[in-house]
Amino acid sequence: MKFVSFNLMPYRELPADFEGKYPSVWVTPPKTLFDPVKGHRMYHDYLDELEFSIDLGYDAVGVNEHHSNAYGMMPSPNLMASILSRKVRRSDKTSLMVLGNSLAAYNPPIRVAEEFAMLDVLSGGKFIAGFPVGTSMDGNYAYGINPAELRERYYEAHDLIMKTWNSDDLIMWNGKYNQFRYINPWPRTAQRPHPPVWIPGGGSVETYDFSIKHNYSFSYLSYFGHKYAKKVMGPFWQRNDELGADRNPYKAGYAQIICVSETDERAQTDYEEHVRYFFNKCLHIDPRIAEAPGYRTVKSLRAGLRSQFDGTQKSAAQMLKDGMGWKELIEEGFIVAGSPASVRDQLAEGAKDLRVGNIMCLLHIGSMPHWLAIKNLQLFAEEVMPHLREIYSEWDHSHYWPTGFAEEEQSGSVAQV
Amino acid sequence: MASPIDEIYQVNDHVTFGVKIAGQGEPLVFLHGAGGLTWDPFLDELSNHYTVYAPHLPGTATSTGLENITNLWDLILCYYDLFDKLGLESANVVGHSLGGMIASELAATDQSRVSRLITIAPAGLFMADHPIPDIFAMLPEEMVPLVVADPSSPAAEMLRYVPEDLDERLELMIHQIQNMQAAAKFLWPIPDKGLKSRIHRIKSPTLIIWGREDRLIPLVYAEEFHNRIQGSELKIIDNASHLVTLEQTAEAISCIRDFLTTHQASYNK
Repeated sequence: MKFVSFNLMPYRELPADFEGKYPSVWVTPPKTLFDPVKGHRMYHDYLDELEFSIDLGYDAVGVNEHHSNAYGMMPSPNLMASILSRKVRRSDKTSLMVLGNSLAAYNPPIRVAEEFAMLDVLSGGKFIAGFPVGTSMDGNYAYGINPAELRERYYEAHDLIMKTWNSDDLIMWNGKYNQFRYINPWPRTAQRPHPPVWIPGGGSVETYDFSIKHNYSFSYLSYFGHKYAKKVMGPFWQRNDELGADRNPYKAGYAQIICVSETDERAQTDYEEHVRYFFNKCLHIDPRIAEAPGYRTVKSLRAGLRSQFDGTQKSAAQMLKDGMGWKELIEEGFIVAGSPASVRDQLAEGAKDLRVGNIMCLLHIGSMPHWLAIKNLQLFAEEVMPHLREIYSEWDHSHYWPTGFAEEEQSGSVAQV
Repeated sequence: MASPIDEIYQVNDHVTFGVKIAGQGEPLVFLHGAGGLTWDPFLDELSNHYTVYAPHLPGTATSTGLENITNLWDLILCYYDLFDKLGLESANVVGHSLGGMIASELAATDQSRVSRLITIAPAGLFMADHPIPDIFAMLPEEMVPLVVADPSSPAAEMLRYVPEDLDERLELMIHQIQNMQAAAKFLWPIPDKGLKSRIHRIKSPTLIIWGREDRLIPLVYAEEFHNRIQGSELKIIDNASHLVTLEQTAEAISCIRDFLTTHQASYNK
C-alpha cells in the first residue's frame, strides 16, 4: 500500500452561520469572509503539516487545484508543490504529487508541461503529474470554460502535453483549440519520458477507459469514503477486466477522511467538530452551480440519473442531510476513525474491497487545528501505516510511482570558487 | 393540431438537421430558443398561413454535429447550407430568444438570405447595467416566473410538467439537458458573441416582438435592438413574458401576419 498525505487547504474559520447565510462554499462565497492574516497562518500551518509528512515517511505529499473555493484555497497547487519540492528532494521515501492541474483551464496547456517539468526537476525526479478534467464549478463557472468544450479541450491538452514530453524534438501542433509553430519547453522532465500520470475522476464512464487504455493510475476523489467509492471503483475494475488490462492495484486509488486518536472514544472527542465543519460548511454547494449542461456526457448522465431516480443509490449529500451520527459516519465509511487498531481494520477492509493500492489520506480536514493535524499525521504514520504496508506488496508499483534520482555530491569546484 | 412531417437533411460533411415541416404558402423558417423545439400551438397556427420549416439546433433532438461546429460563425454557415438544401434562396425567418439571435446573425452576415426578419425576445446583446439572469445556473422552478407572466397559465404548466414514469422522466431530463448544452455552446457564459459589431448590417425589414413583462431578457433590450436595427418595428405585447408566443399566441400571430403582409423584402437579387 501507498499512502499520500493530502491537504485541501481549507479556510478553517468560516462563520458559524455560514451554511445558513450563504448559498455556497464554491463559486460564490463572499471573499470578504477571507481574512488574509488568518489565511497566512493557515497556509503555513498546512505547509508545515505536509513537510512533517515528509519527515514521517509518507509515500507522497499531495495538493490539488480549486477555484473560488473556501475549502480548497489552492488556485495554483503548483506554487505549493514548488515550496514542498525543497524538502522532497532530500527524502528517500516521499514523492511530490499534484493531483492535479485542470488541463482545460491552462492557456496555453504547454504551461502544464513546463511547470510540471520544473517540479519534476526541482523534486529530483520524484514528481507525480495529475491530470483532472476538473469540476464543473471550477472549470465552467469559476473559469468560464464552455461546457460543450471542456472535455474536448481537456483531451487535446492531454495529447499536446504528452506529445511534448514524449518528444526530444521541436514539434508543431495544429489542433482545434491550440496552434503552435514552436513547442520546445525548457526544462524537460527529469523522469524519462515523463512523470507517472494520475487521473483523478469523479466517476465519468469515459474516464475509466481513458485511464485504463493509457495505463495511468485512476483515483476516485470523493469525500464519502470507501463504501461510497465502491460505486465507482466497482465499475472501474469491471471495465478494466473487459478491456483485458492487468489488475495491478496501484493503478487505482481513492480519497479517505481519516481520524486517528488513542481510543475510539477519544477520536470522536478530538475530531467530530472538525469533521462536521467539513461536511456542513465545506460541502455546502449551491445546486445551481453544481453541474453545467454538457459537463457530463449523455452516457454518464444516463447512468447517474437512473440510479438517482430509482432510489437504488441514495446520494451522499442526501444521507448527510438526513443526519448521520458519528458511528454512522464510520459505519458508512464516510470517515475512517478511532484508535489505531480500529483505523487499521477499517482501512484494510476498504482497500481490499476497492482493490486500491493508493490512498489519498485526508488527515487534515475542515476546521482541524494545526496541533490536531500533527497528532493525526503522526499517529497514522507510526501506528497504522506500517501495519498496512504489506497489502498488495506482491504487485510492482513502479509504473505508477517515481523512483527519483539521488542528489549528486556537491562538487568541490563550487566550494572553491 | 396538424402534425408536421420530420425530415432529415445532411447539410455538409459535419452537420445534419432534423426539420419539422408543415403548412402551405410562403416559406417561413422558425428558429427555436434555448429550451428546444416543440411543435406548439404557435407553430401550428403559423402553419395555417405559411409553409413552416422548423429546424432543431444541432446537438438537440434529431440534429447532430454540434461537436463539429467550432463557433457561432460556423453555425451560421450551417444554416445557410440548410437553406440551400431546402431550396430557399431567401426566406422569412422568425427566431425566438437564442433563435432570435441566430436569425439576427443570419440577416447581418449574408443580407441576401433573410428576406424579412422577425425576432422575438432575441438574445445576443448584453448590457452590464441590465444583466440577463444566468439560465445555466438556475433551479428548474426558478425559470418559470422569469419566462411566463402568469404562473397559472398553460405555458407555465407545460414548463412544470414532469412525467410519472421514471424512464420517461429520465429521457425528458436528458433531452432538456441536451437542449441546454447546445444552447450553452453559443451563449456561455455571457450571451454576447459579437452581434453588436454586426447588427448594423441587418438591412431586411425587421419586426421585433417582446413581451412587456419579460423577466429573462427585459424590455430595455427591446429598445436596444430597435435602436440598433435601422428601420425596425417594435411590437410590445401585454400580459406576456419571455414565452410571448405561447402566452399570447393570437396576438403574436397577428403581428407577424400584418408585418409580412405590409412589408416587401428589400433585397432583390
